[in-house]
Amino acid sequence: MNPETKQKINAKYERELQRGEFFWPDSIFKDVIVSLGIFLVLLLLATFVGVHDAPKADPSDTSYIPRPEWYFLFLFKFLALYGQIPVLGKIEWVATVVIPGLAIALLTLLPFIDKTPHRYYARRALPLAIMAILVLGIVLLTFLADVPTVAADGSSLLGTLQTLAGLVIPSLAYLAFIMFAYRARENAVRLISWTSLLAGVLMIGCTVATLALHQPAAAEAAEVPASLVDRIVAGQDLYSIHCVECHGEDGAVTTIEGVKGLEGKEIPPINGKDILYTLNDASLSEVIAYGRPDAGMNPFGKAYNPEGLTRSEIDYIVTFMRYSWDDRFEKPQIKPLFPPLAEGEVPSYAVHIQPIVKRYCISCHRPGKDSYNYFMDTYENILKSGDDSDSNVIAGDENSFLLQVIQGTPIPDTVNPGKDLIGVMPPKGHLKPDAIEAFRRWILMGMPETAEDAAGLTWPTPAATPKP
Amino acid sequence: MWNTLYNWLDERLGLNDLYTNLLDRPEPLGNWWNTLGSASLFLFLLQGATGIFLTVYYTPSPDHAYDSIQYIMNDVAFGWLIRGIHHWGASLMVLVVFIHMLRVFVTASYKYPRELTWLVGIGLLLMTLGMGFTGYLLPWHQMAYWATTVGTQIAGSLPFLGDFVLKTLRGGPDLSALTLQRFFAAHIWILPAALVALIGAHLYLIIKHGESHFPDPED
Repeated sequence: MNPETKQKINAKYERELQRGEFFWPDSIFKDVIVSLGIFLVLLLLATFVGVHDAPKADPSDTSYIPRPEWYFLFLFKFLALYGQIPVLGKIEWVATVVIPGLAIALLTLLPFIDKTPHRYYARRALPLAIMAILVLGIVLLTFLADVPTVAADGSSLLGTLQTLAGLVIPSLAYLAFIMFAYRARENAVRLISWTSLLAGVLMIGCTVATLALHQPAAAEAAEVPASLVDRIVAGQDLYSIHCVECHGEDGAVTTIEGVKGLEGKEIPPINGKDILYTLNDASLSEVIAYGRPDAGMNPFGKAYNPEGLTRSEIDYIVTFMRYSWDDRFEKPQIKPLFPPLAEGEVPSYAVHIQPIVKRYCISCHRPGKDSYNYFMDTYENILKSGDDSDSNVIAGDENSFLLQVIQGTPIPDTVNPGKDLIGVMPPKGHLKPDAIEAFRRWILMGMPETAEDAAGLTWPTPAATPKP
Repeated sequence: MWNTLYNWLDERLGLNDLYTNLLDRPEPLGNWWNTLGSASLFLFLLQGATGIFLTVYYTPSPDHAYDSIQYIMNDVAFGWLIRGIHHWGASLMVLVVFIHMLRVFVTASYKYPRELTWLVGIGLLLMTLGMGFTGYLLPWHQMAYWATTVGTQIAGSLPFLGDFVLKTLRGGPDLSALTLQRFFAAHIWILPAALVALIGAHLYLIIKHGESHFPDPED
């Protein structure tokens, strides 16, 4: 840059200063307003949106789909799209190192590449167009981040549209910009502007089409229990599924009964000081995760068993044990398993039956357990699975097997007289009267699934139908 | 009384000089786009303040990191607010710094005599992203763990040097306590120290050359 140009630039700046403002108070005033606005936005976000945490890190849970912070999503998407290019797509470091590195280098050295003294927008069509397409690409790739490149039905339409929006159109536009900048002297600005506009519209079009065609899978709301009460309840639910068979509902079992392979095994009770005072939370978690091979306890962590418990889940079980059985900890008020039934109210699967089943039945009645194939893990399975699927749950019938056995009446075996086909359930202990009442009302009124289904029904008051 | 005190301080601190040199500066007519730089600075200071509060309770070890954050969120008075501001402030800071860069690009403010201001500014942008990347691992939850696994893998795809870079970032072949420890060190010491130095240089250059004016057809 020659001295005259520099002088011209400096003289122009002086003139601008003459008709300008003062840092204090003019500029500072605006700065303070914006900073205060930002602070307010942060306060609102922190208060009303909060921070959504995932479960604790678990190196053995390799099925977890990684997801970076949102401002890196576009890079992930770019990598995915780049990987689709034949031949070149196999050389990963071109996309991970060369292209981002080149972009950062160009951006850093910008003042030394773009050395013309021109600052007015119309004289800088090329850099402005390049940046506009780049930023638009980043924004669109961020929006596309959750759309897979290959649809569930195997069609590659989505992938093609995304590659068009994220790679092909921008590349073509860049080629055109450079060609116009060096070939079309007088019309360059007009041509570059129109090309960038066209490219931008096409890119947005492809993105909108992709998003419209893509049916997002119902997002699994992985709610992480936040409060202590939530963690204790989560732990109790998990305990009722995984631990209760051997250790019993209150952890007091000393001789295992009715568990294949472990029948008659002597175990220490896990609800006493011997365990709870001598093992801290970390040690208890280790025992659950890695088992006690010498004492016959299986490992329950994911490291040994792909179906196993995650780090967080094990932590919840330990929290449940601490607050329920360790006398140094005071158990907080925990809301009942299901809302108490009002007079005439009919329970529903979603609100009443599912929590009871999860707590008391599903430990044995789930796939992989020997329970005459009667699984209680879903609404459909409760109604229709098992060797006696026709008799287990019959709408409106007091003789439904399920109702018989939970009320203490075993089902006699018609083939082998004198033996029971199904014993009383649960095999150890029995359901509380309010849970039995919930099951009775639910089956006799036709097993409503949701609270809305149940709302239309009324359970006849005792006066109308005298109970035995 | 106040005058005496002020004069006493002025003789020793040079308050009047500070006022004329820092505050009473003429500037070209600005608009709201000119506030993004100071907004970035404000967010940096806010992140610094909330970050310092968080280190009081946060423990950078795989055994305790997650639980210590649960403790901050549930048991520390206003811990949820401090963490919430820090969490959202990080996102907003990346956004504001990036838009600030775009504004400078669009008005071509990086040209003579402000080339070095741009250079330092790009350093600040990259460090802000580095703060985001290192800070994301610290809660030690599933999302953080696996995103960092993949993120460091990408850095490790560098030809020839990849293995070295990967092991330097992770402190070994796999994510471990060492990774968390060095991400923590980078997040609270190394990067902030570098950021402070660069912010100082950036501010000096801005005061030295003044804010650029918005270009008109003459430029």
